[in-house]
Amino acid sequence: MHSRETVGVVGAGSWGTTLAKIVAENGHEVVLWARRPELAAQLNAQRHNPQYLPQIALPAGVHATAEVQRVCEACRLLLVAVPSHGFRAVAREMAPFLDGEHVIVHTTKGLEEQTHKRMSEVLREETPVRKIGVLAGPNLAPELARGQPAGTLIASRFGDVFRRAQAALSTSYFRVFSGQDVIGAEIGGMFKNIVAVAAGIVDGLGLGDNTKAFLMTRGLNEMARLGVSMGANVLTFGGMAGIGDLVATCASPHSRNHQVGVRLGRGESLAEILGQTRMVAEGIRATRAVRAFAAQQRLQLPIVHALHRVLYEQTPLDEAMRELVAAQSGDEFMGLML
Amino acid sequence: MRSADRERVRVEVVHRVVDGYVRQAREASDGFLQRLVNDTLYQERRRLDQANPRSKRTKAELALYQDVARRLHSAAETTVRALLEQLATRFVDEVIGNFDDRVYRLSTTLIPPGLSLLVNAMSPRRLLDLRRINRGLVEQLKVQGEVEQVRRLAQHGTVVVVPTHSSNLDSIVMGYVGYLIGLPPMLYGAGINLFSNPMVSFFMHNLGAYKVDRKKTAKLYRSVLKEYTTCALELGYHQLFFPGGTRSRSGAIEQQLKKGLLGTVIRAYTNNLIAGREPARIYLAPCTISYKLVLEAEALIRSHLQETGKASYIVEDDEFSHPRRVLNFLFNLTSLDDEIAVTWSPPLDVFGNRVDADGNSLDPRGRIVDPRSYVTRDGVPYVDEQRDVEYTNELAEAVCGAYLRDNVVMSTHVVARAVFALLRRRNPTHDLYRLLQTGGDAPSFAMAEVHGEVERLLGELGRQDVPRPRLSPLLLAGDVQEIVADALRHFAIYHTRPAAERRGDRLFHEHRNLLCYYGNRLEGYGLAAE
Repeated sequence: MHSRETVGVVGAGSWGTTLAKIVAENGHEVVLWARRPELAAQLNAQRHNPQYLPQIALPAGVHATAEVQRVCEACRLLLVAVPSHGFRAVAREMAPFLDGEHVIVHTTKGLEEQTHKRMSEVLREETPVRKIGVLAGPNLAPELARGQPAGTLIASRFGDVFRRAQAALSTSYFRVFSGQDVIGAEIGGMFKNIVAVAAGIVDGLGLGDNTKAFLMTRGLNEMARLGVSMGANVLTFGGMAGIGDLVATCASPHSRNHQVGVRLGRGESLAEILGQTRMVAEGIRATRAVRAFAAQQRLQLPIVHALHRVLYEQTPLDEAMRELVAAQSGDEFMGLML
Repeated sequence: MRSADRERVRVEVVHRVVDGYVRQAREASDGFLQRLVNDTLYQERRRLDQANPRSKRTKAELALYQDVARRLHSAAETTVRALLEQLATRFVDEVIGNFDDRVYRLSTTLIPPGLSLLVNAMSPRRLLDLRRINRGLVEQLKVQGEVEQVRRLAQHGTVVVVPTHSSNLDSIVMGYVGYLIGLPPMLYGAGINLFSNPMVSFFMHNLGAYKVDRKKTAKLYRSVLKEYTTCALELGYHQLFFPGGTRSRSGAIEQQLKKGLLGTVIRAYTNNLIAGREPARIYLAPCTISYKLVLEAEALIRSHLQETGKASYIVEDDEFSHPRRVLNFLFNLTSLDDEIAVTWSPPLDVFGNRVDADGNSLDPRGRIVDPRSYVTRDGVPYVDEQRDVEYTNELAEAVCGAYLRDNVVMSTHVVARAVFALLRRRNPTHDLYRLLQTGGDAPSFAMAEVHGEVERLLGELGRQDVPRPRLSPLLLAGDVQEIVADALRHFAIYHTRPAAERRGDRLFHEHRNLLCYYGNRLEGYGLAAE
């Protein structure tokens, strides 16, 4: 009964465009919302996203619009792929056109900076929608857009959310797993960006695989401790949204967060790097939000702390690295024992 | 319940419960229904082992169960279904069998005399003082909050009143408050133990009570109760639930609710939509009942401490079973001020959304949202149990949030919390139980120290940046000496031993269980570590 529905994709960046392509290839009609009317017109006319995914052709089933009302009224299933800093504003714009029938799956990786809230919490505060889910996993947009096999997690408290999102997204190459741990999926997706920036720095500094594995493993540990403190299930971090996403993001040259880290490691300043890229490196903002949250909760997160010192406190890389390494010892799973 | 509805509900409940199990049986392994009947018999016989073997009722029940057991043996499927029906019918009869239409219709006018009657029954000799008690109770009750809106909503739809629960007096207080503010009569499920006193029992019926036997642990019985509530809601009967299930043992505001009962509002709402009954509106009216002194405090905290974590523990012999204690309590109430606060929180729809004065559901930003949309797909309502479990969780969260915001903190709570904090600080190595038993190193604290701690707590409670309870007028006035004196006056008048007592310029902690109990009313606010 639910196999074919018109699906809304909110956000026409590289990930939103990729999602629209996957859903349309699956035989669904897609309404793709772009904030800028010029981009919506371009998408409709040129059938590809010139800014974010220039090489990938959009299937015929994708219709772009810049009217948020249209996407909300035409679609009961909405996939939201906008950056965390614009998330609340978009939710607010959508809210008047939403009701309890809508299902929203967001793919945004971040915490709201001022409030430290997760995106599902922002949706609950701004909209009447209850059927909320999160999609997180090792999903680098360019690879998926080319149809390379991958998996992901859709976590929601509502079985209906998973069933409908899976029907929209699951293809022969894109495999969708279900879970109930919304908090874990959101924290995993958000935190891996922080670790990716740090891993990029390690690469940029020319350090080897031992160091990178050390950093990633401890990063996973910090991710899990942060998540558990917020109510997540520790097992989630061993899955798609945890280690899965972490490995892909820390290793891939496609990862914006990793790229930013590499350039920092090679000695460029943050301001220089941010001045030259159009894409959003969520890990930069997430570091600040998580650092503030951890301080409030008295959580020790040494990687976040060290990265914050580098990004926002002008601490030299070697000094931050020395401090970071010195902070690592003791019981490996402290704070995570079941 | 009106007699026309009564027969209809009786048939409908049995039909729905049995049908539900028959549907489940189709999905389950062979012998599902047989196991269900067996389990019911087993649970019931276990219960009857503890009952008075000579009572007529016990004998009749045992005979019935014996008969069912005999017929169950090698029964065909249709017979098992018939046996299940027989058991369900028996349960539903017990639950609804005690209504007297005439009494129910008169309930609003009967309440005030009913209250007198209750007290009268407990001590005929003190008849002369009845007027004082009745008048006293009105004066001691402070009813506040969204009274007007709740009253209006009862005209637009069905209202389910969901108060906090700390005393058996709660149902009487709520019945009385409902009368005072002009709410129509409400149905509510009262524990069967409340019916043991014939006069209290009479009074319970006046309030529209149906019987709930908490000792009946059989799954079938629970299903019957749930379905009865659902049917009554669908028919538009206003109800009173205590969603915490039992009285708070620890003294803390409920933060865990019984989801089974609460979930019936969502099911009833959806059923009404599916059946096309308009308007299908059902509203929840959370409210907090705050007592400066709780009648059963001693027994409740004792059972909490004995049985921490075991919700099934049932207090049998508490203060409420002793008419003289109840009377004593009521008399004492009349000599003091500002004793019971009933605070109505903003009403909610069945999904936990706030509603406006006309009963429209509002989204978190105050925009009107169609509540039907939560249970429809393309405009068509449908039942989805997993979905409704989540909605029930969200509703429970909304209700608990309302409790925390509208809990009224009184002098006894703050002073008990302060003294207990001093005890903890003085004896950092003692665990809770040792501290309660021994009282630690110091039997008393300087009054100045107590005043200082109360002041600190008041400061914490006055913070604006975090969720905080309401404060009683005395607490708002902020005179620390007066607050402490008021609490001590209360501690001295009713309990077997005062929680704390002043001698000279020192305060002695006498009954630490009580200090723990009253202080627990401030749990859930993340008050800074003591």
